[in-house]
Amino acid sequence: MLYNVHFGINVDVAMTVEDKSKSLLPFLSSPKLLPDESEAEFQSGLQSLLSELDNPSPLAVALVSQLNECLWWIRRHSVDKELLLHEAMARLLSKAGSNWMGSGNSALSVALGHYLDGGSDKDQAALIEEALIDANLTLSDLRVRAFKDAARHIKMVDDLIHRQHQTIRHLQRSIDSIDYKSRLIRRMDLELAALESKQSVKGALSLDDKSS
Amino acid sequence: MTINPRRNLANRCNALKSTGPRSVVGKWTSSQNSRKHGLNSAPDFESSIEYQALVELIAEEGFSAFACADIAAGLLNYRRVMDAYYDTYTGPEPVDEFLRDANMKTSNPIFSELLSPSGSEPQDVREMAAFFASMQRQERRKGGPVSRRSSDTHKLIRYQRNGIARLSRAVRQG
Repeated sequence: MLYNVHFGINVDVAMTVEDKSKSLLPFLSSPKLLPDESEAEFQSGLQSLLSELDNPSPLAVALVSQLNECLWWIRRHSVDKELLLHEAMARLLSKAGSNWMGSGNSALSVALGHYLDGGSDKDQAALIEEALIDANLTLSDLRVRAFKDAARHIKMVDDLIHRQHQTIRHLQRSIDSIDYKSRLIRRMDLELAALESKQSVKGALSLDDKSS
Repeated sequence: MTINPRRNLANRCNALKSTGPRSVVGKWTSSQNSRKHGLNSAPDFESSIEYQALVELIAEEGFSAFACADIAAGLLNYRRVMDAYYDTYTGPEPVDEFLRDANMKTSNPIFSELLSPSGSEPQDVREMAAFFASMQRQERRKGGPVSRRSSDTHKLIRYQRNGIARLSRAVRQG
């Protein structure tokens, strides 16, 4: 029987635990990605995390995929910090120069983004340089001012990153406890099997004594 | 502030004129008006097939029935929070570029005629200009799309904290 578990996972309840952990993989590792993000990169991150676990159970797989998602969120938020600075820089340039009315903030923002990446065309570079002259600022001055301007939002993004770190810590502890539990159960099984074999040997010996 | 009985009566009469939603569907729709992410509503995981399948999977790992139920609910709850987190991140409130970039006196011919440089325009025009300016300030304070999505997702931190704490507790106590 197939169950459709959250996000479209197909789990057959008659499968072994190992098979189930494998079947959980496509479900949990098919995350909601942004249009410019690579799914192959996400999957390779997940696989490398899973490879560190020795025979992971389905629950461990589920927790590791959540952990991988947290790492992905940290990446997104780190990019956002830089984007916030770009936004603030464009805003400051627009306010200071005559571009506020003309090309608008978004055009300036796009031009600035390309200028900072080094991929701007002549017009964009000219627009930014003109705006910098209008504002009577150098690029580094502008960056410092923008940092001050966007401090509130940058602090928010730092909080978001910190939250992801805390979540990762929780998940790590949970994975450790599952691992410990499964090892304990395996060890108890082995001890039980050893005891049973001893008992059976003793039983056989006592039967032999009686018969002789 | 004292309540004027006549004003009170007039308010009540006027309130009767406003109909509001009458049908069941209309009432349900308007009840969702202020819904932002839905994380404050109590979820019903137990009746979902995802929950049953997860419980069966976790049970095979040697957890007790209570622990299985707790872990499955914790995992689904955490996923619910993270889905809302993603939706909030990808769909921030759009930037009103006109409001943000507009200069009222120069861009709007009606206002440029009404607003005189000496400030001798009528009171209602001045009030309208002040209202527009305050809307514009608000819009600019919210920042661009990245600032908006950061502040929107920041509001979900506490749900994420509670969700992961619940899941982690369930797994470790199981």
